[in-house]
Amino acid sequence: MKKLVCLMLIFVVLAGGVLFAAGAGEKADKRTIVVVPQQLGNVVFLPAKEGMEQAGKDLGVKVDWVAPVKAEAQLQVEVIEGLIQKGVDGIAISCNHPDALKDVLISAIDAGIVVSTFDADSPESGRAFYAGTENYQAGVTCGEEMLKLYENHPKDRITVAILEGIPGAFDIESRKAGFLDTIKGSKLEVVYTGACDDDVDKSVVIVEDYTRSNPDIDAWFMAGGWPYIVQPGAMPEMNKWKLSDPENHKVVTMDVFPSSKDFFDMGLIDVAVGQNFYEMGYLSVKNINNILDGKPIEGGMKKEGFPGLFIDTGGQIVTPENYMNEFQ
Amino acid sequence: MENQSEQIVSEKGKGLLHRWLGSIVNTQSFRIFIVMAVMCIVMYIISPPFRTMSNLLAVAKNFSAYAIAGIGVTLVIITGGIDLSIGSIFGFSGVIATMGMVNFNLPVFPAVLLGLLVGALLGLINGLLIVKMQLPPFIATLGMLSIARSLSYIITEGYPVVGVLPGFLFLGQGSILKIPTPIWLLLVIAIIFSIFLNKTITGRRIYALGGNEEATKISGINTDRLKIMVYCVGGCLYAFSGIITASKLGIGQPTAGNGYELDAIAAVVIGGASLTGGVGTVAGTVIGAAIMGILRNALVLLSIKSHWQQFVIGIVIIIAVILDQLRNTEK
Repeated sequence: MKKLVCLMLIFVVLAGGVLFAAGAGEKADKRTIVVVPQQLGNVVFLPAKEGMEQAGKDLGVKVDWVAPVKAEAQLQVEVIEGLIQKGVDGIAISCNHPDALKDVLISAIDAGIVVSTFDADSPESGRAFYAGTENYQAGVTCGEEMLKLYENHPKDRITVAILEGIPGAFDIESRKAGFLDTIKGSKLEVVYTGACDDDVDKSVVIVEDYTRSNPDIDAWFMAGGWPYIVQPGAMPEMNKWKLSDPENHKVVTMDVFPSSKDFFDMGLIDVAVGQNFYEMGYLSVKNINNILDGKPIEGGMKKEGFPGLFIDTGGQIVTPENYMNEFQ
Repeated sequence: MENQSEQIVSEKGKGLLHRWLGSIVNTQSFRIFIVMAVMCIVMYIISPPFRTMSNLLAVAKNFSAYAIAGIGVTLVIITGGIDLSIGSIFGFSGVIATMGMVNFNLPVFPAVLLGLLVGALLGLINGLLIVKMQLPPFIATLGMLSIARSLSYIITEGYPVVGVLPGFLFLGQGSILKIPTPIWLLLVIAIIFSIFLNKTITGRRIYALGGNEEATKISGINTDRLKIMVYCVGGCLYAFSGIITASKLGIGQPTAGNGYELDAIAAVVIGGASLTGGVGTVAGTVIGAAIMGILRNALVLLSIKSHWQQFVIGIVIIIAVILDQLRNTEK
């Protein structure tokens, strides 16, 4: 009995504390816009969170950042179902998979919630707009940059290794497809693809193992910037390979993080294609708020074969020549 | 006469040697060692890069951290328990140690100690929930899996912890006598816990507890205290493993160790431990972790698609357990 009372007391104190910390006591009448990235703790999305928070402050609306702990579509579906029950006003989501999220987003729209997508779209869901850079196009840009790096190169065959995240993840597959379509028919040939499951440690192990055993590889294309979240010292083999022949060994990567600067300083990255996640977060909240106010969507454009409006948040191509401006 | 006695001594010696060899050969650790040796020989033949010292050291360095966590969960599994909070404690402790340096300006040693203490504390809570609240280990540690992971996100807000002290990097990136530090750390921990399990009274009691908890209790052993201690030590070892990984990467990540509990438990099972308790060795777990490390390395070296990685590991787990069962049936 004593044990039971003790346990119940602990539960009540914990539950009260958690609800207080989570802000459950806040007024429910304030407009709430929720941004749902693919996964909690994925550093790529953190600038989007900052953009969302800034937009919330500027517009005087309540914003929230809710995501599953793993980048899985089913977990994201559950998050959206919860938000529908909660009756939020707007949802901006980066979809783990376009088809898997489609039905639940339709349900959200039917429930009167304004839905938009950013970074990774679900075009058939009927969302109001998509804000971001197309992942396929980002892959195309990476392919074009890689081709430029090997323009007029004397070798007839350039071997490329690819690092990807979770096999089958829609955004990464789109980038890969864009990259592969762009280099098709060129002298660039993909000889290896390793998947790190979005795990930074695994990404380092794969890149290190493959580079150590294949020092004659010419180039790496990172479909996501996982290995550049760490300190350069964590990748001695990769660094040795890159610096042993910087003219012929090239690295093109998606994503630009603050930690990427150290790699640029050491000449370890040739091209990094960054996406403007801050703008994605900011513009998603701003335009959902506009729709709720009955105002038009700013910066949205119609694209052929693209349902709804497309807000191009742009991107940046960071190279050893311009990286200092980027990290100022 | 002299020749006759020499012959008797020699035969006695041979008998002892034979029994000693027999006792080694009959151990699960030895059998799993043979599996690992065969894998190494095959890789040695088909993949020249595998043979290089730099590759072998890198493989050992990579599996060292997981093997240390595996040793922690070996203790738990020997008692007949299970711990699903390995990966979350691994990540949380790495974050705590790095935040200690970056946010609270602690020197390296106190920061590492803080991470270890947090791991031990979470392990202690696991133990208390299991013993005092009589929660099944699966449930108690499943709860801790979520709590520790959530705490990592709360205190970091999802951001990686960067800017660790240079001295901290020695744990994961440094080397002694050209051998990476994590390998030395694994060696020291493996020796300590092998002696602890096999040569101390407490160690023998842990086996007894897993073999027959009721009988152990009746014989006057405080099994509750033993269980709490095992979960606490386990938490400390998962924490150490997470801290080494944070040092290896030079950052603390709230997502670190996500799903690693299954890798650690797989290493223990491949190494011959029984999930029903009472059976398991530190050597077996280290070899189990090594097999998983070699497999991962082999798949990369042979340019086999990563999609196959989990498939192959699954096959190895099943074969290891079937072999063990067949052997036990023969007996």
